[in-house]
Amino acid sequence: MSTELVKVTINAKDFQVPKGARLIDVCRENQFDIPSFCYYADLALQASCRMCLVRIEKMPKLQTSCTIICTDGMVVTTQSEEIEKARRSMLEFLLANHPLDCPVCDRGGECELQELTFDWGNLEERFIEQKNARAEKYLSPMVANDPQRCILCKRCTRVCDEWMGEDAIEAGNRGANTVIGTYGGWLNCSQCGNCIEVCPTGTLLDGTYRHQARPWELTQTISTCTYCSDGCQMSLGSRGDELMRIVARDRYVNGLNGEFLCIKGRFGHPFVNHEERIRTPLIRYQKGGRLVPATWDEAIRFTAQKLDGIVAARGNNSLAVVGSPRLTNEALYCLRKFAAEVVETENYAVADAFSLKPFFESLGGPLATHQDIRHAKTIVLIGGEPEELQPLTAKQIRQAVRNGGAKLILINSVPIRLREQAAQFIHIRPGTENAAALALAGNADDALAARKMGVEAAELEILRQTISETQGDVVLMFGGELSAEAQAVVAQMPYTFAGEGRRILLHPLALFNNSVGALDLDVNGKSVSDLLDAAGVSIHAMYMAGSLLPEHMPKCGLSKLDFLVVQELFETETTAFADVVFPAASFAEIDGTFTNNDGFVQRVRKSIEPVHQSKPDWLIVSELAKELGVDFGFERSASAVFREIAERIPAYADLRYPLLKDESHPLQVKHAIASKRELAKEIAGIRRAVAELSDDGVKVSETPQVGHELFKLGTLTDKVPQFHLLAAGNPTPASFAISPLYQITIDEGIKREKAVA
Amino acid sequence: MSQQPINIQRLSQPVQMPDEIATFSPKVEAEIDRHLAKYPVMRSAILPLMFIVQRERGYLDPPGVSYLAKRLNLRITDIWEVATFYSMLHLKPIGKYHIQVCKTLSCKLLGSDKITQLCVKKLGIKVGEMTADGRFSLSEVECLGSCGTAPMFQINFDYHENLTAEKVDQILESLA
Repeated sequence: MSTELVKVTINAKDFQVPKGARLIDVCRENQFDIPSFCYYADLALQASCRMCLVRIEKMPKLQTSCTIICTDGMVVTTQSEEIEKARRSMLEFLLANHPLDCPVCDRGGECELQELTFDWGNLEERFIEQKNARAEKYLSPMVANDPQRCILCKRCTRVCDEWMGEDAIEAGNRGANTVIGTYGGWLNCSQCGNCIEVCPTGTLLDGTYRHQARPWELTQTISTCTYCSDGCQMSLGSRGDELMRIVARDRYVNGLNGEFLCIKGRFGHPFVNHEERIRTPLIRYQKGGRLVPATWDEAIRFTAQKLDGIVAARGNNSLAVVGSPRLTNEALYCLRKFAAEVVETENYAVADAFSLKPFFESLGGPLATHQDIRHAKTIVLIGGEPEELQPLTAKQIRQAVRNGGAKLILINSVPIRLREQAAQFIHIRPGTENAAALALAGNADDALAARKMGVEAAELEILRQTISETQGDVVLMFGGELSAEAQAVVAQMPYTFAGEGRRILLHPLALFNNSVGALDLDVNGKSVSDLLDAAGVSIHAMYMAGSLLPEHMPKCGLSKLDFLVVQELFETETTAFADVVFPAASFAEIDGTFTNNDGFVQRVRKSIEPVHQSKPDWLIVSELAKELGVDFGFERSASAVFREIAERIPAYADLRYPLLKDESHPLQVKHAIASKRELAKEIAGIRRAVAELSDDGVKVSETPQVGHELFKLGTLTDKVPQFHLLAAGNPTPASFAISPLYQITIDEGIKREKAVA
Repeated sequence: MSQQPINIQRLSQPVQMPDEIATFSPKVEAEIDRHLAKYPVMRSAILPLMFIVQRERGYLDPPGVSYLAKRLNLRITDIWEVATFYSMLHLKPIGKYHIQVCKTLSCKLLGSDKITQLCVKKLGIKVGEMTADGRFSLSEVECLGSCGTAPMFQINFDYHENLTAEKVDQILESLA
């Protein structure tokens, strides 16, 4: 938007506003209340609800302020008898076929239609004709639908198209019969539930929270999502000791994601109060025996004795400490401190899927925030599949292209769904992602890279040209496919492509909610697979917070350990080997921080008391340290842990909980920016590795199914019955009128069969 | 500012499509190609193509809808959206004779309700249904532009105007 100002007069007051500003936004910013349903910032315009009518001088009729761009000398009236009359009659029309069943509606109490009816509704309804009744039903396991409540603002269809790029729901039929629906009546989409979020009425409802609670019974707690590395801000609605639902509605939370959440963030929470949560500490007194419930005192004492014994007999380095990228910074810091200061072992690692250490060591420019991605001019995505693994990033890319005119260059071995938005799709052979880093570094190896990737060398030339011709921001993203050397080369790109009027921003697509934080707090960056390989050889005991990833399981060597301690929420494949299991508290029960892909440190807040006897991960470690003779001095406050992080870790310097209070202004970690350096060694390494690749790999031509990663049953999503239906292919039920979960009741196979896989 | 690109290419189908995709004879394919060539934006050809698919397959059955989505690079919901908007496009099997009673103002005032009721009674089906033998389908549609001769209905592509109870009887009899 240009900085040129124009003069607009609203209700006889003069305002200087930026040229190109939208009238409805200007009015609202200046405290003139304009009601609206269909207007939604950053979505295509609809102007169908006609609630935002204003009088503009020299225009013949009342105008919808959501479609008007301010021009110089515009004279606007937002309040008059004429406008009030128009708005009241519009609302009367909207309510003409509305069932007015607020007392039994899940949205009652936080409904935009209800609120505006208080402001603009008439006391009595004049329509006495029979209403066009439509039965309520389910659209999918996640989405419940009451079509009669619909006011056809079409926010849902626009969100589905523009945010998600799926177009799964549309308005069908016409005139008075128009309904929101889909072909065949059953939604087979990615089930993000954003249509539910933006619905201003009770038409689209959370199917998993149907008739469970009223909004005013819920305590809203702002927190950060515990699934992927986007770090969406959300509001946890709890009643008593139960987490009822998760929303990102503007009235409760204003984070970097706006009202966006994905299926996991919105619906993946029932694990918190799940009956299979570990209730007490468990001890396996004898190898091969059962895990037996114990008291906290006994478990801590037992663990301390055992660890003491092993360290005394086999040395400090016979003990390994393994963290998880799902833990809070506080928990990871305590683990690291435990390893370094209590047992004094060098063997500390984080069980992440891939390490971004080489990237951060060579980091040549700032990390791109999600806001930067939305306003970028060029986006280069090497590998990865953000639609499935980092849904918010995918949404930002899609909007940058569709609404911001950005150019997306996709380098991927699979034609992922984002290729619809791509200006250039470089379809490479599987496993040749590293060659892309080679191509970015310069044209010397184009012939080799192009041959191995199976593309024309000219395509790589276009890629470099597009980046070096961009005026504005260029965002470079990459997934887990890149090797350490390739990561280093990409990290140095801000120097390679430096130019006037151009900013090169980097965005690593880490996998877990605190992958970046775990790396920031890591000591020497050992890999977890090395530690597992040494199990039974040089490592005889392990202390683990969280379980191993499935890819680490097959050759994990945990059975060769003399002693294994695990902090977990559920009994997993890892706890099957454990000698002591401590019940850990989930993200909804603790205070702490996560660091996301943008480098934002965001607060995790306690919504409910820890269930059963569980305790926060950092507290368990601290108590064990105390038993072993080292008092961390954190007492019972996570903020004390964070203060120490800020004192000890340079990137987190000066951060404090009070400064992280406002989720709408997150603070970025100050990652050290490496200076420009010679990349010859890395490039030679990549060249060698690329040269060894085969020339005739087969390219994947099929776009993968929606949800092939999102619907996968993990330890946490496995606890949500609806996910079992989705993992079983979201079968169309015989009846849409009752909860789709009845399918599990009649066919238990849907659940069991998939849970094992 | 939001701006919609003019030519949206839907290259993937996030929403599940019916497994089967319709196929057509080379002659029909050539006709479809002729229509596609007429429009600078591919999706503009949706109506003529729907008409061809419906003509060939009786109605827009799931394989036909899949074919349209694939051929026009549109989502399956885009096809659904358009198909449900028009009363001459059918997503359900349709009878040999499709009776479309006009229910808009002029016809309504001159008793279109009675005409509909007559048909309902005579055929033994409700509005929007098809008789068991597949001969008749009954629906109510918006104005057919024959207000001067109301009430009226359209059977397939033929207008029947200035309807009376006897006339309706007679017409239905002649078709039964």
